[in-house]
Order: sequence, then structure tokens, then C-alpha cells
Amino acid sequence: MHYQTESWNGYPAVEEIERMASRNAVVIFSTSTCCMCHAIKRLLCGMGVNPTVYELDDDNPTWQQALFSLLGNSSSSLPVVFIGGKLVGSMDNVMAAHINGTLVPLLKEAGALWL
Amino acid sequence: MESQRIGDTSSTLSADHNMPYALLRGLNPPNNTSFMYHSTQNYSNQEPPAFDFGELEEAIVLQGVKMSNDDSVRSSLYGSGTNRPAATLEMFPSWPTRFPRGSSKSGGGKENSDSGSALNTTISSRSEANLEPESPISQAFEQQQQLQLPQQQFQEMASDSPRTGVSHTEPASKSNYEKRKAAGSTSDRVTDPKTLRRLAQNREAARKSRLRKKAYVQQLETSRIRLAQLEQELQRARSQGIFMGGGAAGSNISPGAAMFDMEYSRWLDDDQRLISELRTALQAHLVDGDLRVIVDGYVAHYDEFFRLKGVAAKSDVFHLISGIWTTPAERCFLWMGGFRPSELIKMLIAQLDPLTQQQVVGIYSLQQSSQQAEEALSQGLEQLQQSLIETIASGSVNDGMHQMAVALGKLANLEGFLRQADNLRQQTLHQLRRTLTIRQAARCFMVIGEYYGRLRALSSLWASRPRETMMADDNSCQTTTELQMIQAAQHHFSNM
Repeated sequence: MHYQTESWNGYPAVEEIERMASRNAVVIFSTSTCCMCHAIKRLLCGMGVNPTVYELDDDNPTWQQALFSLLGNSSSSLPVVFIGGKLVGSMDNVMAAHINGTLVPLLKEAGALWL
Repeated sequence: MESQRIGDTSSTLSADHNMPYALLRGLNPPNNTSFMYHSTQNYSNQEPPAFDFGELEEAIVLQGVKMSNDDSVRSSLYGSGTNRPAATLEMFPSWPTRFPRGSSKSGGGKENSDSGSALNTTISSRSEANLEPESPISQAFEQQQQLQLPQQQFQEMASDSPRTGVSHTEPASKSNYEKRKAAGSTSDRVTDPKTLRRLAQNREAARKSRLRKKAYVQQLETSRIRLAQLEQELQRARSQGIFMGGGAAGSNISPGAAMFDMEYSRWLDDDQRLISELRTALQAHLVDGDLRVIVDGYVAHYDEFFRLKGVAAKSDVFHLISGIWTTPAERCFLWMGGFRPSELIKMLIAQLDPLTQQQVVGIYSLQQSSQQAEEALSQGLEQLQQSLIETIASGSVNDGMHQMAVALGKLANLEGFLRQADNLRQQTLHQLRRTLTIRQAARCFMVIGEYYGRLRALSSLWASRPRETMMADDNSCQTTTELQMIQAAQHHFSNM
């Protein structure tokens, strides 16, 4: 897991987020204090994945807004996970994917997991 | 004849109620007023008379008619030379003031209330009679209905102020008579209406406070009795090992939690019904199409359960997380407010034979994924707890409130974890449904339902197990009891 620090300039467009998301195989947008984010980090690391984490702490609330607009109305909370540049969703999406067996193939496809 | 009857009545009165002879005789005014005077004295000293009321009322009515025309009698009766204007008594406007109701000296205590009522009835009937001679009795009965409250008004009226055509009645005790006598002598000196009114108001206030005190004492008594009953119940319940939880009485339980408990018990009833449906469907070897309907119905049943939990979590997450809504044996295995999915799958693996190779792989990977997810959630929750500890422990006295606010914000995350845990459980059940064939799925859900049913049964058996009090052959008794319990349990299970 490696943490990225970027200098955010201007209003983060959704494209900006997607651009960042496609840079790495697994991207997590999180907050340092969020415990659910901690849980998802544990989950992915436990599976052997090395996710890229962007900590959106309080100085950039607009980022969270942009993220949630991507999510739609389902669950507007952090963490938000992208795998292979594609939006997976927040915690329940990731968990559901893991349970129904689609998460691992997705990770392998993105190159985040090897047999 | 009236006087004769009066005489009879009064003697009846004295005979019944043991009135002091001196009192009765010593206050015997002229003949035609004797009854009235007697009546007041009599009533002032004792319980309601047991004689024929109707006769008495009639006598009173006729006597009253006479009385109203007899000024001299009035004066001699009350020892004061003036007629008190009825206006003095208009301080109690709810009662007709033209003929003031039966009054008595203040000081009617508990024991006098009954006599007061009877007395007031007679007096009111008599005074009413002056207005409507034709129906004294019905009025008397009517008066009896409204006795309790107005009674104090009756009794507060200054009895030492003579009234037009009404003699004073006293449902008070002997001391009241003496007071009255004293007041009578007082009224000799103090005839000023203002003073009289003040005295009357004082009396009324005293009466009211006495009644209030009486009501309060009665309240205390009933509360004491109730407390004793509750303590007994509690003792009994404790000795049976039944923990009533945070509010069987409903006082400590939040409305959201209470609602959930209710809906959950209904859900349990549905669960039992659906399980037996599954069982009969399997035994009947229904076609897959029909079986699918039943199986999907059971999955929907669990979806409903998770929905209920979601709703309840919004209002009372602690209720759900504590597991107080489950039975004790279930609570033993509680994980984040419910069952642990990987544990359930472990249990199922043995029961679901025969499975195809693919299915076995699928089930095992399901077990593994759920285990990983559980682990992740547990670690997340642990971090939340750690963070909460730091928040609560830290902070100076000054920003105590700020720390509390921060802590509250962190606690709010609890609902998120519960939701994720329930989500995990729901996904696990759905995945099972997808991995198995219809018949296998039907068997699987039936096994799940039976399993939890047995767990609940275990809880109630445990709660109702007899406690051995003898020290001597404690072990042997215990074994026998356990054996009996197991036999009972087997019998129960074989019926499932």
C-alpha cells in the first residue's frame, strides 16, 4: 500500500478523479480517521493486494462530493474503490463482489493479484 | 305522628351509635326542633345511620318547613340573635345558596366522610324540600352522587352562622361538636361577616389540606404495596435465572428497539412456518419449479430480516449490537450483532453432502472470503474502539464538550459496521442459493432454520433447567437432570 500526496488545484472534476484512478491497479479514496477505510485497507492487503491510497482529509471536501456524485445515491460514504481504473464502489460493493467471487478475478485482471 | 317518629328515630340513632347520653339529652332544645338538633349531633359523632332513610327524610322535610317559619327556634338553636344572610355562603357558588346546604364544623376527618355524606344528603334534601317539596328523596339520592368533593364545601360552611331555615349538620366527631360549640360561643362575640367568611375560608383550606394529605398517604400506601409486589416478582424471576433485560417493563427500552423486538418475534413465527413448509416440500418431492418458489420465499424472508435490522440500526444501534434481542445461546456466538457467516458455512459443509466438485470449491472459497471480510470488519471496528478510547480519555476539562462531540461522531460509525456485517450475512446467503441446486438449496435453508431453532430451544431449556440446592448428591442429581433434559431435547428435535 502506498500513499499518494498530490497538490490539488482547482475544483476536482470527475475526470480528474478518474484520471487518478486509472494510474494504479487498485485505488482507494479514503480518510485517515475513517475506520471503514481502515477495514477495506485490511481486506485488500490481507488478500495480497497493494492498493494506492489517496487520503482526502478535511482540506478537500469537494473531492468527496465529486466522488459521491460518481457513486450515485446508493452509499455516499468513504471509502471509494477503483480497480483497474473502473469504479467498484464503497464498502458494501467491495464486500458483495468478494462474496460472490467476482472481486478476485477483477483484481487479477487489473494486475493487482497474481496466482 | 312526627314527633313520635322523630323521637323514635333519635332513640334508634342513639341506640345504634352509642351516642353519649348526656350529649343527646343535654342539648335537647324545644320539642319541635329536637330532631334537627339531634340529627346534627348524632351525625357529628358517628357513622351513617342504618335506619330507614326515607322515613327520616320525610320527617326532616316536614320539620324543615316548620323550621323556616320559626325564628325564635332558630335563635335558641344557635344561640345567636342574628340571622346570617345567605350571602355569606355564596362563596361556594356551585351550590345553590338560597338554602345553604347542610353545613358542619370543619374538621371532618376520614372517618367522618361517610357520615358527612349521609348527613349532607338529609340536609340537602331538606333544604331542597323547601323549594320542591315533592321530590326530596330523589334529590337526596342525587346529592349522594356528588358527595365527595362538594362534601368539603358542606363541611366547611360556618356552622356557627345561623341560616334561614336550615339547621346545621355536622358529620364531624364529638370534638367537632365541641368546636362548634366553641365557635357558637365565638359567634356570639364575632358577628362580623368578614371575619366569619375568613373563618369559613380557613376551615375550608384546612379541610382541603387534610383531604390532600389523605390522598397523598393513600398514594404512598398503594405505591408501597406495588413496590413490594415488584420486588417479589423480581426475586422470583432472578431465582429462575431469567434476565428481564433492559426493560421488560418497557421503560428502558427505546421505541425503535421495542419495535424491532416485536417485529423480530413475528419474524421468528414466520421462520418456523417457512421451515416446516420447506420440510414438507422436500418430503413431498415437489418439482423444481414449485420448490424454487418456496426457496426464494425463504431467501426473501431473510432479506426482510436484514431490512428490519437496518431500520432498527438507525434508531438504536446499541440494541442490535448487544444482541439482547437474541436468546442467550445465540448471544454466545454473536458477532457484530448477528451470526458469523463463516461459522454458518462451516456448519453447513458437513450437512450439504453430496456436492459436486465445483460446488465444494465454491463453498470453500465462500467460506474463505467471508472469513477475510469478517476479519477486515473486525479490525475496522477495533480501530473505531481504539479511536473512541483515545477521544474519551483525552482532552482537558475545558474542551470536554468538544471531545464528547467528537466521540459522538465516532460512535455514529457503529451503524456503518453493523450494516456492513448484515450485508455480509445477506450476501453469503444469496451466494449459497446461487451455488447450490434447488433441492440442495432447499435442504440448506431448512438446515439453517433448524439449526437456529435448536439454538433457541437450547436457550430456553437452559433457562428452565432445575437448580439443585442440595449439597450432598449434587453431582448425581445434576447428571439425572441433564439426562432428562437431553431426552426432552431429543424428543423436541425429533419433532422438528
